[in-house]
Amino acid sequence: MTVATSRHPTPASPEPAGVDNRLVIGGAAVTWRSLPTPNLPDPAAVLARSAVHALTAARQHAVHGTELLLSTAGRVDAVLRTELLEAGFTVGVLEDDGVHPSAPARPRAAEPGRLWLLTSGSTGRPKRVGHTLDTLTTVRADQPERTWLCPYAPGTYAWWQVVTLSLTQPGQHLVVVEPDELDDWPTVAATHRVDAASGTPTFWRRTLYRDAAALARVPLRQITLGGEPVDQAILDQLREVFPTARISWIYASSEVGASIVVHDGRAGFPVDWLDRETPGRPTLSVRDDELVVTSPYHGAGLAGPIRTGDRVQVLDGRVLITGRRDSDEINVGGSKVSAGVVRGVLAGHPAVAWARVTGRRAPVLGRMVVAEVVLAAVGPSGADTGVPDEAALVRWCADRLPEHAVPRRIRVLTDIPVKETLKSDV
Amino acid sequence: MHSLGCRLRRMNELSRAQIRDLMAQVLKNQDKELPADDAAQLREIGFRSLDFSELALRVEDETGEELNFDAPGLRRIATVGDVLDFLVELQHQ
Repeated sequence: MTVATSRHPTPASPEPAGVDNRLVIGGAAVTWRSLPTPNLPDPAAVLARSAVHALTAARQHAVHGTELLLSTAGRVDAVLRTELLEAGFTVGVLEDDGVHPSAPARPRAAEPGRLWLLTSGSTGRPKRVGHTLDTLTTVRADQPERTWLCPYAPGTYAWWQVVTLSLTQPGQHLVVVEPDELDDWPTVAATHRVDAASGTPTFWRRTLYRDAAALARVPLRQITLGGEPVDQAILDQLREVFPTARISWIYASSEVGASIVVHDGRAGFPVDWLDRETPGRPTLSVRDDELVVTSPYHGAGLAGPIRTGDRVQVLDGRVLITGRRDSDEINVGGSKVSAGVVRGVLAGHPAVAWARVTGRRAPVLGRMVVAEVVLAAVGPSGADTGVPDEAALVRWCADRLPEHAVPRRIRVLTDIPVKETLKSDV
Repeated sequence: MHSLGCRLRRMNELSRAQIRDLMAQVLKNQDKELPADDAAQLREIGFRSLDFSELALRVEDETGEELNFDAPGLRRIATVGDVLDFLVELQHQ
């Protein structure tokens, strides 16, 4: 069964302010307004076949307020699909000829304006978090005209950030890259004059590693990082390629919304931002080395202080977010080591393009710090950095870390691992 | 047929001499030297618990097999020979 796609429905509410912004999809330029408008079931869990289908669903929601969970087939397994049908969603794949739906197990009335996000599932099963277009829109002030790259998987928090910006603000255009174009995004971006791009540190590291020269040809004026811990090395490498661009990092999640935005080109945020209460702004605190956020942009049903599960460490007046609490702390013979801090040191080596730091079972101490790295023979500036061996990398760390935090075994990988979320579980 | 009482070395088990080479490597990476004498005191050559753990991981990486660190009881490891004996034995656990 399919539901027909109507190209000219009568809008239930006015078009969003960004409706005439340009969208480049698969190399072709269109606008939000010229996208087909599918007749979506309500409530709907839409699995978008491609970027264009995801954007049509987003625009349809913006106009009609359809209760919507947007994702891709790859992120919704059979168990989750059953859960969604049980929760009253019509689940369907959205293609050119409309939605191919499965009827809900327990039909229910839709909640107008509700958007559902699936958390990335890095802590277990994906979880549904309720939002609205309004709670997902975090950039409200007028922005200079920009053409944004959208490299994210449809329906993720980061994807909605870029999409709501373009939907709600005139002059914020989008160039969408599909997963199979991702390795070649700088070519696409240079062709379409992309001047703003948002990605994970892994996304930026892979781009610098694969072809820094191609990246340098993209006329970027705004570079944004988020979704993973942001270390000083990646900020410095991007600064070297783009000396005049604004380089920002953002801390955001489905649960707490966008909570921290830092523009000064440094890792972490100033320690005096902690426990500062400003109306309409998130309040940041630290409890037992964990970041706690109280935010007006929380997901539905979440209120008050939310424990983020992210570990922080205060170093030189900056609060560094080092990683997930359940994986960041390594206990080496009773001494606590932050994997994120060690990773930052390794990533600071001029020949290291990417690093992952973990604990490994060892005698006497219980666990020992070990690492995997990807080496770049040529630094971002084009200078030959030489290829260090394991002993040289161990010495680099030994000069900068307490003895028990030095990774003693460092394995070299040939490519930077990445998942659909553009993260690599560092 | 081998007699059942004869203990064969497992295929990817390291010999005492091979473990000694790995131990020398651990020390060399810190610009230290491993003395030829098995009776040399670990304290004197600066081989500490972190180095011991690193050596155990190197043995695991060479053989591709996990060592069962919990199997043997605690014992005094004070000399180069103690380290080598312990790791040779650990491969049999």
